[in-house]
Amino acid sequence: MSACSVTLETLPQHPEGKEILTCLQCGVCAGACPYGDVMEYPPRRMIAMMRAGMQEKVFTSDSLLSCVACYACMAKCPRGIRLTEILLPLMKEQTLAYLPELPAELQRALQNTLRYGNPMGEPSRKRAAWVKTAGVPIRSFAEDRRPADALWFVECYTSYYPRGQDNSRATARLFHRLGVDYAILGNEEKCAGECGRLTWEPGLFETLMDYNMAVFQKYQFNRVVTSCPHAHNAFKNRYPVLGFNWALEHVTPFLAKRLDGLNALLTRKLPYLVTYHDSCCLGRQNEFYEAPRQLLRAIPGVKLVEMVHNRVNSLCCGGGGGGMWLDTYFKAKGYERLSERRVREAVATGADILAVSCPYEISRFEDALKVLGYDKRMMVRDVTELLAEAMEE
Amino acid sequence: MTRYAGGLPGVAVAREYKYMCSDPGQELIRQDIRDHGLDRIVVAACSPHLHEHTFRQAVALGGLNPYYFHMVNLREHDAWVHTDKAAATEKAMDLVRAAVRRVKWHVPLEPRQVSIQADVLVVGGGIAGIDAALTLANAGKHVYLVEREPTIGGHMAQFDKTFPTLDCAACILTPKMTAVKAHRNITLWTMAEVRQVEGYVGNFSVTVCRKPRYVLEDLCVGCLECIQACVYKQAKVPDAFNLGLGKRKPVYIPFPQAVPQVVVIDPETCIEFKSGKCKKTCVEVCAERHAIDFHQKEEIRTIQVGAIVLATGFEVFDAARIPYYGYGLYPNVYTALEVERLVNASGPTGGEILLRDGRKPATVGIVHCVGSRDEHTNRYCSRVCCMYSLKLAHLIKEKTGAEVYSFYIDVRAPGKAFEEFYNRVAEEGVIFIRGKVADIYPAGNGDGRVILQAEDTLLGMVRKIPVDMVVLSTGLEPRADAAAVRRLFNIGCSSEGFFLERHPKLAPVNTFADGIFMAGCCQGPKDIPDTVAQSGAAAAQALALIDAGVVELEPNTAHVVEDACSGCKTCIPLCPYSAISFVEEKRAYINEILCKGCGTCVAACPSGSIRQNLFEDEEIFDEIEGLLVPA
Ligand SMILES: Cc1cc2nc3c(=O)[nH]c(=O)nc-3n(C[C@H](O)[C@H](O)[C@H](O)COP(=O)(O)OP(=O)(O)OC[C@H]3O[C@@H](n4cnc5c(N)ncnc54)[C@H](O)[C@@H]3O)c2cc1C
Repeated sequence: MSACSVTLETLPQHPEGKEILTCLQCGVCAGACPYGDVMEYPPRRMIAMMRAGMQEKVFTSDSLLSCVACYACMAKCPRGIRLTEILLPLMKEQTLAYLPELPAELQRALQNTLRYGNPMGEPSRKRAAWVKTAGVPIRSFAEDRRPADALWFVECYTSYYPRGQDNSRATARLFHRLGVDYAILGNEEKCAGECGRLTWEPGLFETLMDYNMAVFQKYQFNRVVTSCPHAHNAFKNRYPVLGFNWALEHVTPFLAKRLDGLNALLTRKLPYLVTYHDSCCLGRQNEFYEAPRQLLRAIPGVKLVEMVHNRVNSLCCGGGGGGMWLDTYFKAKGYERLSERRVREAVATGADILAVSCPYEISRFEDALKVLGYDKRMMVRDVTELLAEAMEE
Repeated sequence: MTRYAGGLPGVAVAREYKYMCSDPGQELIRQDIRDHGLDRIVVAACSPHLHEHTFRQAVALGGLNPYYFHMVNLREHDAWVHTDKAAATEKAMDLVRAAVRRVKWHVPLEPRQVSIQADVLVVGGGIAGIDAALTLANAGKHVYLVEREPTIGGHMAQFDKTFPTLDCAACILTPKMTAVKAHRNITLWTMAEVRQVEGYVGNFSVTVCRKPRYVLEDLCVGCLECIQACVYKQAKVPDAFNLGLGKRKPVYIPFPQAVPQVVVIDPETCIEFKSGKCKKTCVEVCAERHAIDFHQKEEIRTIQVGAIVLATGFEVFDAARIPYYGYGLYPNVYTALEVERLVNASGPTGGEILLRDGRKPATVGIVHCVGSRDEHTNRYCSRVCCMYSLKLAHLIKEKTGAEVYSFYIDVRAPGKAFEEFYNRVAEEGVIFIRGKVADIYPAGNGDGRVILQAEDTLLGMVRKIPVDMVVLSTGLEPRADAAAVRRLFNIGCSSEGFFLERHPKLAPVNTFADGIFMAGCCQGPKDIPDTVAQSGAAAAQALALIDAGVVELEPNTAHVVEDACSGCKTCIPLCPYSAISFVEEKRAYINEILCKGCGTCVAACPSGSIRQNLFEDEEIFDEIEGLLVPA
């Protein structure tokens, strides 16, 4: 049974729903939740209330708005209840439906995604504009439909944001030098929609899913490689109901598998002390803890240090589950910004680079560093950017 | 079914009866034998494993040879494994048809009787093995107690006090340990392991390997002068008995009350082993006792025993497997077993609870269920951690006056005087917080304190409590080599890896191998009272077996048809039990006592001159045909 077709009403009939009957009420979810101390009903209480038939009360509180889909509760739940995968998004749908109006920032992002295929509302015909600045040839299927081994699904932030484009340019250079046989969708690509799903608007999510699947089916390729852990999540968990069955990889583990080839290319010494932030979707959700670290260690001169919270225990940047567009809302409620909590830990390591693998994090952490006045002490770089920098021309 | 069976050729009467194994059911069989002059019986019902013996008995009481009987397993072979009722019914008919055709070939047989070796092997010298060995020895049996470590005692020897009564562990254990050593009916082999087990119930032949301790047990008087004299002036090697919290020299005794009171030399760290150039001050001081022998070799012994008691115990869960609890990363995060050593007067701190930096903790957090009740580690409850956590909370409070927080999910205190103990510890002011700890991280001010973060589920708020010391109440796990030991003794393990009992309620200390029993934590987590109850039960089972003097074995042995054997010897090397010999320079002979009825030789014999009781060719072929021909 695919997670996609489970609704809150039908949940009790599914194995996923039976799981909540086993909840021990141990509270590890609340203790692990980055907003556990401000959430009115953390997952433990939601489950208790559902079991007592009091779900209305949960939906009319705004508890679920502060769920940033970081998988921290799920990773530690002793009963293995798939909170972040199934229960919480379903509950969040309901909560949003009960809200008199969506927080404006979120509303705008969702509308933009529906209209332009990206949350920032940029014109879709400019999606592939960055390609010209990459400095290496990049094939687009629309122009040359010959089969390719890999379809590189670039995603929104990496297409439009200047700092996201740095990541894309780096990836393109790495692919080029490694001789990866790939193509992109160019302007035909639209947001994979993962956060659209998590923040409700299932209609929006389905529209994007139908659209992207139709485009995929036009071309021939063996695997999908994406720069965005959230798109990876959507393809892995949601798209298969529509027949998505290509091999799927995120750029970071994809490159880690090609370390042998990479090693020869990484010739420039980068004298950096680096700390790596495990993104929730790549880390806790997919357990790619070692791949990014292997890549960083492969760069001559780079030294790695760990933050107190790393790997399965990593602290979320606060951008998942729609959190990307709820900063104003959280601020109004007086919540601590999670990205600030995270960069404080990063700065405490003494590192000069905070390395990331998720496009959400660049802007969130750069902003947090600025707000806290650490932007002179620490820079945020995607792993791919560092790899590309270590390649001599 | 009954109608169908009644119509099969050769069937005189077919009946359905709900409780065939009950007395009236069995009486029915006897009555039918009398009334109808039956000469073969087939029962199609539950598992032969449970009831074949019952029905053979009934057949015998009806006046027939008990082997004029065959049982069809409609339970595991049919009803329990299929969901399509109609197809399962057809399969039942097929099985009955096959059995009816088979049973007509059955010949009268007599069960074999073999005598029993009176000695017993006990494997593992923790409290379970010690207690079983003493009980058996007191009953006059000779016991071989085989222990892997240099001393017996197991985990209990590492504790200071025991819940719920707070008896001093050493005070109750040491007398038993010395009794083992002194008992004339017990042969104690430490640093020893079982290598091979052959034979069968009543007649096991067991090969034991004794590793060298480089000290001759008969000559060492336990004066410990060699330890004093060792060229290592300081103890430098992390000491396993103290879980690395203390240090020992290359020549050492695990703990003051160790049994046997004989030192051990560790070849990994002893200079003489490494360079051959040590001054050997130990040998000098041992003088005319000559107990030290750097050339001691491993020794292999083979013993004959009638029964075996396995008491190999458990291992504690490796806390480093839960990275967010910081074990191995933050020096003030300890496991419960480590804290047992810290509170123990003979431990590395002389019984004072001191942190690694020498400070006395002022706040302590105890974390329950580490590696228990968790899908990511072990699903089961380890049963003793709640109680030992209460014990440690009490001891820590008593010894340091620290503020103690105990983070629990449920406090499980179901034994005699357990709840009362919980009550007492609560009264003493230990603070109980109901919530599973979600995160442990440094408090950040460089003083070594860590923060325990958990939801206090009863208050409905997340709490972050800074403490000086964390105690992780780690669960109990099967030994790392449990699967290898299981294969060695040919017994089963349940899914989590502990040894499997023959029946969870009615045969809790029996394994699936006749004559092999088990006791203590090798069967599953349990406390000392339950462990000792099991070792008594296992000893009683072994005694009952041995004192019967003989065992009855299935007459399912193979035999050579003398005139047909061509003397090719194909069968001889194939027999896993070495039961076949070559006699009179011309033919194979099978020793009935040694034959286990595996059938290998029967299948291998090129001239078809080996046959096997209960598996005669006619029986098998007709059974197969019965199964395959259409109804
Ligand atoms: C921290 C902690 C505190 C506890 N406190 C208490 C308490 O206060 N009160 C209480 O009632 N219970 C307590 N328990 C439970 C108690 O430890 C067990 O009930 C008891 O130790 C079980 O004894 P055992 O002989 O079955 O196993 P073990 O003590 O594990 O002994 C097994 C022995 O077998 C040996 N062995 C293992 N494999 C082999 C092999 N293949 N060949 C030869 N020898 C082998 C081992 O070396 C060991 O000596 C506590 C447990 C823990 C972890």
